[in-house]
Amino acid sequence: MSLGARLIGRARGLMRSSTLRLTLLLSLVFALGMTAAVWLSLAFGQDALLRRTDATLTGLAQLVEAGEVTEESGQTILRTADRVLALPPPFRRALRDGGGTVDLDDDYRGAETWRARAVPGPDGQPVLIAIPMDDSEDALELLGGILWTTAAAVLAVTLAIGWIAGGLAQRRLTRISATLDQLAAGDLQARTGTVRATDDLDVLAQKLDTTANALERLVTQTRTLSASLAHDLRTPLARLRARLESLPDGPERGAALAEAGHLSDVFDAILRVARIEATQGAAGLEPVDLHALAHELFEIFEPVVDDAGKSLRLKAEAAETVQADRQMVIQAMANLIQNALVHGGPEITIHARGADIGVSDTGPGVDPDHYDDILKPMVRLDPARGSDGTGLGLALVRAVADRHRADLTLSPVSPQGLNVSLRFTDL
Amino acid sequence: MRILLLEDDAHLGPWIASGLREEGHVVDHFADGKEALLAAMGQEFDLFILDRMVPGLDGLAVLKSLRASKNTTPALFLTALGEIDARVEGFEAGGDDYLTKPFAFAELSARVAALGRRRSSAPDGGAADTVLRHGDLSLDLLARRCERQGQAIDLMAKEFKLLEYFMRRPGRLVTRTMLLEQVWDMSFDPTTSVVETHISRLRAKIDKPFDSELIRTRRGEGYVFGR
Repeated sequence: MSLGARLIGRARGLMRSSTLRLTLLLSLVFALGMTAAVWLSLAFGQDALLRRTDATLTGLAQLVEAGEVTEESGQTILRTADRVLALPPPFRRALRDGGGTVDLDDDYRGAETWRARAVPGPDGQPVLIAIPMDDSEDALELLGGILWTTAAAVLAVTLAIGWIAGGLAQRRLTRISATLDQLAAGDLQARTGTVRATDDLDVLAQKLDTTANALERLVTQTRTLSASLAHDLRTPLARLRARLESLPDGPERGAALAEAGHLSDVFDAILRVARIEATQGAAGLEPVDLHALAHELFEIFEPVVDDAGKSLRLKAEAAETVQADRQMVIQAMANLIQNALVHGGPEITIHARGADIGVSDTGPGVDPDHYDDILKPMVRLDPARGSDGTGLGLALVRAVADRHRADLTLSPVSPQGLNVSLRFTDL
Repeated sequence: MRILLLEDDAHLGPWIASGLREEGHVVDHFADGKEALLAAMGQEFDLFILDRMVPGLDGLAVLKSLRASKNTTPALFLTALGEIDARVEGFEAGGDDYLTKPFAFAELSARVAALGRRRSSAPDGGAADTVLRHGDLSLDLLARRCERQGQAIDLMAKEFKLLEYFMRRPGRLVTRTMLLEQVWDMSFDPTTSVVETHISRLRAKIDKPFDSELIRTRRGEGYVFGR
């Protein structure tokens, strides 16, 4: 990347800084205010200057009319009409117009701007009197210059401070944002590492670190707990199974073994949901072609559904390849098909389209008010509907969706039925 | 087979050992990892059955040490940790199979037999063959064709894979979990009767139309192909 492109990139990044944006906004307001102030003071200064010059002219005119002043002195011009011809042309126009401001192209007697007035002389003939305004004009110009320069300097310093402060704030915000990204990606050891709190941003960063500590501790506890739970319960279950298997053959032994089997199935399902819920980040994800996956699911479950006297259909359209944990998604879909087998109607459909994969049935469906309920663990809407299964089927589906940050959608099917879909999003 | 068993549980250890002895194996049972490692270094075994969590040195560490010293004896892990991560760890340490507690003895027995067979006659059932034969049944792996008594049989992809798995293990007990893992690549129980259904379909094609039955069910244990 060229230096120019890098600078533009950096400037773009900085422009997202709220500090810098605020500085720019304030600088703009300051520049507008400053322009108005300078413009107003120059206008008022000009006006005052004119009034002072006109007062001098009025005094002079009275003296001329009274015949007390007849000769030019210093820079003052005092001419009768016939002698005005010797002056630069703008003076003649001023005499004709009765007075006004005279702007010359070149200096006349060391001044470019004059204030003139035509007054009747002692003999009744008009006399042009004029006095230069340059000295006062120069002073005004100097004042304007000082004001403009000061304003520009203040503006430049403000912008520089804004740029630096924006950069510093942004560096800290970038670290906070990077830490959040790492945490979201499953790196629970990510911290901003802010030690001293000097302002609100530092306090925010420290709070983030504290939260991350708590999160890490909780996740570690959950993992340790499910691991030790697994060990502490699986071992006695294994002993129970061993003892049952040692019993003499008979219907009671078979039934007891089946109960023990169901017990360990429920237990496995709980652990599996807990494990999926504790899994985060991109580890274990691989590209999964949803189209191929739908076909595979169909191939695996079509005979099963058929044997249950129902029919399984496949509706796989242009489906995408997504980043997913293949085993988990198959497990989720297997649970949905199992659910549809138990609660659904005669027709079950596996569908895949875009980043969506799901299962729909033609059963009595579920009241949309209960959608949230059936996703909770151990909830069975119809208590009469046997105690087969673990009651964790949909809870596992939801855990799989959460693990992939996929959207889990339940929707009614027309004319009747329930549709459950997983829509994958970019992780 | 001469089997080294490392299992510290006071009830499970003797249960496994006596079950295996009843099947004609010679079992050296240890409850401590270090003792098991010493024994495995000093004597020849045909199979290691190692519990993941035992006092002293755990099963994973024992196998890592053995593999580091070029010991290639097949190893089966027993564990109360069912998680996939733990399973992967086991395979990475050089384990050949992995069994989660609680398990049926038949499951263990089937896996022990499979591992012992792998050692004595690798490649398993002649992996190099492109046509598998058993009596009047033949399975052409390249042409994807199945015939019995000269009659062509049309098999679905999964049925084909299932039959291939059975034909490579004639006369041996194959459990439902083994089939799920090997044929369907599922390390979980899909609760639906996937295995049972596919086997009944396969039977309807290769057994029903003919006079003799090739796939037999062993109630509560699994399936046996042939003989």
